[in-house]
Amino acid sequence: MQNLSQPTLASHARALYALIRKDWKQYWRYPLNAVSSVFHPLIWIAPVYFMGLTFSTNGKALGFAQYSGTTDFMSFILLGTVLENFINAVFWGMGFALKNDMDSGVMESNWLTPIPRLLILVGHSVTNLIVTAITSAGMLFFGGLVFGFHPTGDVLKAFVPILPMMIGLYGFGFAFAAVVMLIREANSLVDMSSFLVQIFSGSNFPVNALPRFLLPVALALPLTYGLDSVRAHLIGTTPILPLNWEMVLLVVFMFVMLWVGVASFRSLERRVRILGTLGQH
Amino acid sequence: MRSEMIVSSSLGRSTPWNGLRALGAVIRREWTIFLRYPSWIVSLFVWPIIFPMGYILTARALSGVDGSGLAQFQATTGLTEYVGYLAVGTMIWMWQNMVLWNVGYALRNEQLRGTLESNWLSPTWRFAYLLGSSVPQLVSMLTMLFISGLEYALIFGVHFSGSLGLVLLVILASIPAVYGLGFAFASVVITAKESNAFVFLVRGIVMLFCGITYPLAILPEWMQAVSKWLPQTYIIHAMRSAALSTEGFGGIAHDLELILLFGAFWLAAGFALFNRMERRARQTGAIGQY
Repeated sequence: MQNLSQPTLASHARALYALIRKDWKQYWRYPLNAVSSVFHPLIWIAPVYFMGLTFSTNGKALGFAQYSGTTDFMSFILLGTVLENFINAVFWGMGFALKNDMDSGVMESNWLTPIPRLLILVGHSVTNLIVTAITSAGMLFFGGLVFGFHPTGDVLKAFVPILPMMIGLYGFGFAFAAVVMLIREANSLVDMSSFLVQIFSGSNFPVNALPRFLLPVALALPLTYGLDSVRAHLIGTTPILPLNWEMVLLVVFMFVMLWVGVASFRSLERRVRILGTLGQH
Repeated sequence: MRSEMIVSSSLGRSTPWNGLRALGAVIRREWTIFLRYPSWIVSLFVWPIIFPMGYILTARALSGVDGSGLAQFQATTGLTEYVGYLAVGTMIWMWQNMVLWNVGYALRNEQLRGTLESNWLSPTWRFAYLLGSSVPQLVSMLTMLFISGLEYALIFGVHFSGSLGLVLLVILASIPAVYGLGFAFASVVITAKESNAFVFLVRGIVMLFCGITYPLAILPEWMQAVSKWLPQTYIIHAMRSAALSTEGFGGIAHDLELILLFGAFWLAAGFALFNRMERRARQTGAIGQY
C-alpha cells in the first residue's frame, strides 16, 4: 500500500529505477547515435594522432616524453579521452537532462513529484554512466586496434583514484545542473565548460606543458590529480605529485565538492522556484 | 474590389513578395531567439580561444622541453610556426561545425518543439524556413570569424602576414559550399531523425580528412584522395595562404575556383534534397514525428 505520496526508501528506489529505465529506452531508441558515441571520440583524437606523428621520430614522441615520462602519446591520450567520457557523462547526464526535460515540457511536472530532486539528477546520470562504460570499452578496443593502446600497469590500482574523483564530480554536477535551471540554456554552457575542464585537467597532454601562468588553474582542478594518478598506475607516466598525496587530495576534494554542489543546488533551486521560471525554456 | 485587393496581398495566395515577407519573419524570429540566450553570444568570444588552445597546448607538449619535437615537426612539414597554422585550420572547422549544428538543426528543432507541422501547413515558401535560419547564423559566424582573427593575434600572438582583402574573398567564396552543405544536411536529418550521429559523422569527416591540424602529406594515400573531394580542404588551404603567407592572389586562385565549384554543387544539392524531403514528408505524413 506504499505509494509515492508517502515517500520511503523503497519508493525512492522505484523512482530511481523508473528514471534509469526511461533514459535507457530513450537512448537505445536512436541506435545510430549509440554507435556513433563509440567512434566519435576516436575521430576527435585522430587529428591529434596525425599531428603527433609530425612531431615524432620513428613513431616515438621524444619531446612528449620529456614532459610526461612516456613516448607513447596515443595511450596517454586514449586513456585521457576515456576518463573524460565519464566526466562528461556526469556533466551531460544531469545538466543536459534537465534541459531536455525543460524542452519537452515535463520538468515542472517531474518537480512536483515527492521525489528528492537530487535523486532525479542522480537518476539521469546513471544511464549515461552505464552507456559510457559500454562505449568506452568499445572505444578502447577500436582505438587500440587503430592507434595502439599499451597499458603496462595494475588495472585494479588504477580504479582506486577514479572512485573519489567520480563521487566528487557529482557535487560539481549538482551545482552545474542548478545553473542550467537558472539560465535555461545548456548546450553552450556544457560544451564550453567541459572543453575548458578537458584542457586544464590534461586529458590530451601533461599539464606541466601548460604555460606557467595557466598551471595554477590545472592544479586547482581535482580531475587533474585523478587523470594523473590513473595514468601513472596504468601506463607508467611520471606523476606531478607523489601518488599518496594525490589520493589524499582527491578524497578531500570529494567531500568539498559534494558539500559545495549540494548547497549551491539547494540555493539556486529555491531561487528558480521563487522566480517561477521552472517550466520556461 | 476592396476585398479582392486584401486577399491578393495575403499569405493565402503565394507570391514572391509573400515569400520574402515569410523569409523576413523567420529571420526576425531566429534573431530574437539568438539574442534570448546570452551564452550563445558569449560562446562567439570563448570558442575561438578554447578550441584551438587544446591543439596548440598538445603541440607544445609534443615539442618537448628542449624543442626537439618541434625540430622534427619543422623537418616533416617544412613549416616554421604551428600556432597560426592550427588556429586557421580549427577556425574553419568551427565555422562548418556551427553551421551543421545551427542550420542543420533548424528544421529538426522545429520538429522537436512540435511547430514544424503547423508551419508546413501555412501557404508560404517552405525553403524560407531553412534560408531564414541561415541569415542570423551567417551574421553571427562572420562576427565570430572577425573575433577569432583578433583573438589569435592578441592572445596567441599569430602574425597575419597575408592580406585582409584576400581573407574576405576566401570567406565570401566559401559561403555557398559551407551553407549548401548545411541545407543538404538539414534535409537529411529531418528524414533520418538521428541528428547527432549525422553531425558527428560529417564534422568527423572534415576533422579527419581536411588537415585542420596537420599537412595532408602526412596522411595515407587513400585519405589524401578522399580529402580532394571535400571543399573544406581547399577552404583551409586558401585561408592559410591568404592569412599567413605573402603569396597573394596567385596562392589562392586555384583553391577559389574549386571552392566556388563545390559551392554551386552543394547549393544545388541542398535545394534538391530539401524539395525531395518536402515531397516525401507530404506523402508519408511523418513530418511531425521524431
